[in-house]
Amino acid sequence: MKRLMLALALCASLGAQVKLPPYTREVLPNGAVVYYMQRTGLPLVSFRVLVRGGNESDPAAMAGLASVTAELLRRGTAQRTAAQFSEQIDALGGTFGAGTDEQSTTAYAEFLSKDFNAGLALVADALLAPAFPEEEVRKTLSRRADGLKSTKDSPGAAINPYYRSFFFGSAHPYGRPADEASYDRIRRQDMVDYHQKTYVGRNLIVIVAGDFDPAAAKARVTQTFGGVPPGAAYAFAAAPAAPKNSEPRVLLVDKPDATQTYFVIAQPGVRRSTPDRVPLILVNTLFGGRFTSMINDALRVTSGLTYGASSSVQMARLDGAITINSYTKTETTAQAIDLALDVLKRFHDQGMTAEQLASVKAYVKGSYPTRTVQTADQVANVLGEMELFGLDRDEVDQFFARVDAVTLEQANAVARKYYRTENLTFVLLGNAAKIREAAAKYGPKVVEKQARQPGWAGM
Amino acid sequence: MRTILAALLLSPLLLAQQDVRTQTLANGMKVIVQEDHAIPNVAMYFFYKVGSRNEHPGATGVSHFFEHMMFNGAKKYGPKEFDRTMEMNGGSNNAYTSNDVTVYTDWFPSSALELMFDMEADRIRDLAFDPKMIESERGVVYSERRSSVDNSNGGMLSELAAAAAFEAHPYHWPVLGWPSDIESWTMEDLKSHWSMGYAPNNCVMVIVGDVRFDQVLALSRKYLEPIPRREPPPPVRTKEPEQLGERRVTLSKPAQLPIQIFLYHVPDAKNPDMPVLDVISTILSQGQSSRLYKRLVDSQLALSAGGGVGDALDPTLFRFSIAPRSGVDPAATEKALFEELARLQSEPVPDAELRKAKNQMLADLYRRRKTIETRANLLGSYEVFRGDYAKLFTADQEIEAVTAEAIQRVAQKYFTSKNRTVATLIPEKPEVKQ
Repeated sequence: MKRLMLALALCASLGAQVKLPPYTREVLPNGAVVYYMQRTGLPLVSFRVLVRGGNESDPAAMAGLASVTAELLRRGTAQRTAAQFSEQIDALGGTFGAGTDEQSTTAYAEFLSKDFNAGLALVADALLAPAFPEEEVRKTLSRRADGLKSTKDSPGAAINPYYRSFFFGSAHPYGRPADEASYDRIRRQDMVDYHQKTYVGRNLIVIVAGDFDPAAAKARVTQTFGGVPPGAAYAFAAAPAAPKNSEPRVLLVDKPDATQTYFVIAQPGVRRSTPDRVPLILVNTLFGGRFTSMINDALRVTSGLTYGASSSVQMARLDGAITINSYTKTETTAQAIDLALDVLKRFHDQGMTAEQLASVKAYVKGSYPTRTVQTADQVANVLGEMELFGLDRDEVDQFFARVDAVTLEQANAVARKYYRTENLTFVLLGNAAKIREAAAKYGPKVVEKQARQPGWAGM
Repeated sequence: MRTILAALLLSPLLLAQQDVRTQTLANGMKVIVQEDHAIPNVAMYFFYKVGSRNEHPGATGVSHFFEHMMFNGAKKYGPKEFDRTMEMNGGSNNAYTSNDVTVYTDWFPSSALELMFDMEADRIRDLAFDPKMIESERGVVYSERRSSVDNSNGGMLSELAAAAAFEAHPYHWPVLGWPSDIESWTMEDLKSHWSMGYAPNNCVMVIVGDVRFDQVLALSRKYLEPIPRREPPPPVRTKEPEQLGERRVTLSKPAQLPIQIFLYHVPDAKNPDMPVLDVISTILSQGQSSRLYKRLVDSQLALSAGGGVGDALDPTLFRFSIAPRSGVDPAATEKALFEELARLQSEPVPDAELRKAKNQMLADLYRRRKTIETRANLLGSYEVFRGDYAKLFTADQEIEAVTAEAIQRVAQKYFTSKNRTVATLIPEKPEVKQ
């Protein structure tokens, strides 16, 4: 494989502006927001249901509560045992899954169009009447705890929760990845209470997308979700202080059998609604979001130090992080990190050329249609995000114009503002005996953890 | 509660061949085009029928290395220019190599169509082999191996398992190549790989998206047809001898949890037993009502369990993998798997369960067609592995034709202990340091 497929790195068409296809939005009397987006061609229909709250709504001592609640929705309901639910979904050739991100739970189910009613009934049963059977709760929590061991056997997967807990710290909702202790504290009643409080009308966004009969769908969906108690919209806590280092910080996670070092270099970033988002998408794509990006060009293409190096900008409700991510063989750990820092410094100091900006604009626009409006699922995803973050359809409809409007001066100002070189956070996961000395270069003291130990950075 | 299982009625229009059109160029390259103007974008896939099965000991992994070198400069577009020019014009790309094929995948706005023909023809015809790029790319490939094998318990065990299951056939060695071969590839290896595998008559080009067939044909004639036809790769002569006894291999390394892989020899993609094996895979592994999920995951024996078989030009392997839970003896998960396979051999799959599996597979036929990328990949894969892209449009009939009797027969034929390789990762406890 030439490279790992990044989870759809932002990229777009040189032609005319891509527009969102027609859709309707409706607010039910109980506050639930429902979108309908018709797309014929394939006889499939999907239901995407968003519940506000997400990982942010986990109580501090119960990280993972929202996520485990989502996983258990289908494992026994008022009308169906877990086994019956799964039999019925599978018998229709349907799918059902649910998970969380920073600020929401998303359930996604897809059926053949002819099974619209049966599919909707299953979705509603799981979302609105989960039973959280004690036995299923116990099994799921115990499986999750073992899942942590499996994650820690895989350094590429383990580095992310280590970085999040170290960078944000446990006082911040983004700094509390679920661990053995938090799973141990969660009880069935916590899920029942959480569900009752958050899966309510004012907190729901329902998106029906695909090939369906609009009148019949509307009647059915209104009847199904209109009866949900209105409750209260989830009250997000006031934004906690974003992490701010007064000196560089270093975490070293020891995995003695590792033959390469995985590393993250993090610094404070932005929230999803930042007015800088369009220039920042361009700037980050140029710096670390495409194959010819500065970081990948330096660490991979020119030097052969790694199979992949990238940077990403967290786009969530609260201020997040901007990170550089890569890995290299144990022996070249310092060389690769130093090179990444050189590229970062050069970018901060010198920014980009007009030619580079033009290239990245073309790139971002060129793949935009394939990522945003190609499938009914992609459009449903965009609609859900718009509603969740309070954005409007210009987010898509004006995207090309906004990209075109970014000037070189603006882009370079954004590069200087966000791609800083001081007081960075470094997380290294590898063979500590061999990279301890290298790690010490990057900060006044190095915090060490063992990948075999329970918990993450645990500050 | 009773579950009603109705057969899915696939819309005949959608499973028709739609607007797929083909042409074979004078130099033997096959062109397959499906117009789709929903978005102004194009997926352009080149399937070269050359992969690690065409390699030889000492130069294993060279197909994959060559795939990387295809991005490192040709005559008109020098080092780094393929990617730079493509991205500057709104496109992006990737590529993958398997045991059987090397596939180059380009995605771009339709405005870049002619440019893509120009760049692809340049590198197919006149790839440069810059010694400096060879050395730096060697480091990249080694890093890829370090990520997907050396620092991946599943990757390391898979490599070991395949090498044990295949003793003679080239599927024995990993696509990425053995480490010592990665260190030793020479420019000559690359050049001879190019002349062996990259003849236009050894390639299928698939284009799906915002194009017109006549436009694609004109560009193909201008840019690709002048590339001369050459000898295709020599046939792979070695056939794997029949396996006559269970093989067991273990991997001991530091880990918190064990992993198990079970391999059974099965035929190539064109064999009529393959759709039956695909239905078996669905019954065993797809969804939370599947047999292995219930038996192994829901019962708390495993974190995950499943199995299936991919397309292959030569007889291949049906592969199961299981991640036993902590404290569970791998012997217990193994026993559960073998009992489930024995059940497939001894009892016909009930009608409702067979109907369910078919419904899942038929719905998936639609899901796999959502994007121009997945359709390009499907059309090319069917053409290369099944000999005709149009078989994609009768895939539903193949699924429907599978009977409970066939499942029993096929399970009895392949899931035998003699035909099996079992690979187990045994976690090593670290030394306790005080």
